[in-house]
Amino acid sequence: MIRLSRHHTERIVFAVIGLAAVATAVPIIVIVGSIFFSGAEAVSWQFLLEMPRDGMRSGGIWPAIIGTIYLVVGTGLISIPLGVSSAIYLSEYANDSYWTRMIRLAIVNLAGIPSVVYGLFGLGLFVLFLDLGSSIVAACLTLSIMTIPVIISTAEEALRAVPQSFRVVSVGMGATRWQTIRRVVLPQALPGILTGVILGLNRAAGETAPILFTGAAFFLPKLPNSIFDQTMALPYHLFVISTQVPEMPITIQYGTATVLLAFVLTMNILAASVRSWQRRKREW
Amino acid sequence: MFDNPKIRINELSVGYDDGTQALSDVCLDIPENAITALFGPAGGGKSTLLRTLNRLNDLLDVSISGEVIIDDMNIFDRNVDVISLRRRVGIVFAQPIPLPFSIRKNITYGLELAGERRRAKLDDAVEGSLRSSALWDEVKDRLDDSANALSGGQQQRLCIARVLALAPEVLLLDEPTSGLDPISTAKVESSLQILKQDYTVVIAPSSIQQTARIADLAVFMLQGELVEWGSGEDLFSAPREKQTEEYITGRFG
Repeated sequence: MIRLSRHHTERIVFAVIGLAAVATAVPIIVIVGSIFFSGAEAVSWQFLLEMPRDGMRSGGIWPAIIGTIYLVVGTGLISIPLGVSSAIYLSEYANDSYWTRMIRLAIVNLAGIPSVVYGLFGLGLFVLFLDLGSSIVAACLTLSIMTIPVIISTAEEALRAVPQSFRVVSVGMGATRWQTIRRVVLPQALPGILTGVILGLNRAAGETAPILFTGAAFFLPKLPNSIFDQTMALPYHLFVISTQVPEMPITIQYGTATVLLAFVLTMNILAASVRSWQRRKREW
Repeated sequence: MFDNPKIRINELSVGYDDGTQALSDVCLDIPENAITALFGPAGGGKSTLLRTLNRLNDLLDVSISGEVIIDDMNIFDRNVDVISLRRRVGIVFAQPIPLPFSIRKNITYGLELAGERRRAKLDDAVEGSLRSSALWDEVKDRLDDSANALSGGQQQRLCIARVLALAPEVLLLDEPTSGLDPISTAKVESSLQILKQDYTVVIAPSSIQQTARIADLAVFMLQGELVEWGSGEDLFSAPREKQTEEYITGRFG
């Protein structure tokens, strides 16, 4: 057997792990690059702000964009209060008991469920049983179930990262537990919570399967009027024009992919800048 | 020796949920307007005793028996308002832990919790308490800077000041100078000498020497029990118990 000197080993190890890093970065750069390159010519103000025409083969994607914004905002309105409250309960109030362990286990498992299962669950519970129909509100509720575990686990982590000593000091000065949470713990954990919220909503913005049966429309000639209407949405629209419509111009497909990707990337960059703001602001 | 006890402790026992008995049958009268110093080797129950006096141990799982009576009120009574108890009995910890606010906000925090909003009152409290803890002259021009920008000694005096701002009756200090340099320590000690005129001070000093310097009443604690107590002078010049003598002459601990 050949024995390598440790200097050689060092070089080989660095070469291998460096290659692994490059190998993971290359597909992302290629995918994003080629989509943006091919889609750039399709994207214009008209493309963004017009209704689709000719069976979606020309015109714009405005209803899909506005629909995705509706879904993200609606999902946020439901999942942020619920998720953050649950995280506060788990981190600040709950004792370590059988029930809290069960709740944590449920959260971890929820995060691992395939998204199509959420879609079918939403169809059964919200669309059919609660009779909300295929609608924005049913889609938002379904997306919320998917988003809440992400928000809970990142928010709980952010809350737990706030030093216990701050809580002891605050209570020692005559604060109630809620005053301590409200004035000391939450402000310190806020950037971490925001990161989790953005990542969770980002997933909601990009998913197709959960909204497929619960609120996404194949094509609508007008914008939705109420939360009980169906809506078009970017990821489902992309699926439709890529697979369901014959003689679809390729530029529109690339253009739609570019817009969806830009939407998701912007939110990711937002999350990253919140994280770095958090590190600079942190005082412990 | 002291005939005006502010706090009477009767047969106080405290056990933690892991089975350790932190205090066993402690009986002690703590005099008003004096410095009572609890000293002894680590693990003797000094911190536990301090934290029991304003029920900060409630945050942990502890079992408590016995009585602590402050001005005729047993603090373990069911109808005691723990929040107002903690305002009357303030505590300063070994590590200076400023809250992640400005210097000013650290001091006004406790008052704002209780609903004080008047700017003049808050400003008075900031200046008064910072003067009492001998920090005013060093920070008066930068009250809105982060409290973390202060040195360790300044932070500890800030922590004393924010407790004083609540106008407590009793001041508990758990090794308040353990992380400080000698000059900062001297400043804290001399401010304690002034503070005791208005407050009942109970301190776990950082060293035997500090106990000897500041104690009006010195209490030697060993493994959760009070071994011996007496005026600072008496106890250090003529200890009655062999364990006390061995500890203060440096043969163990």
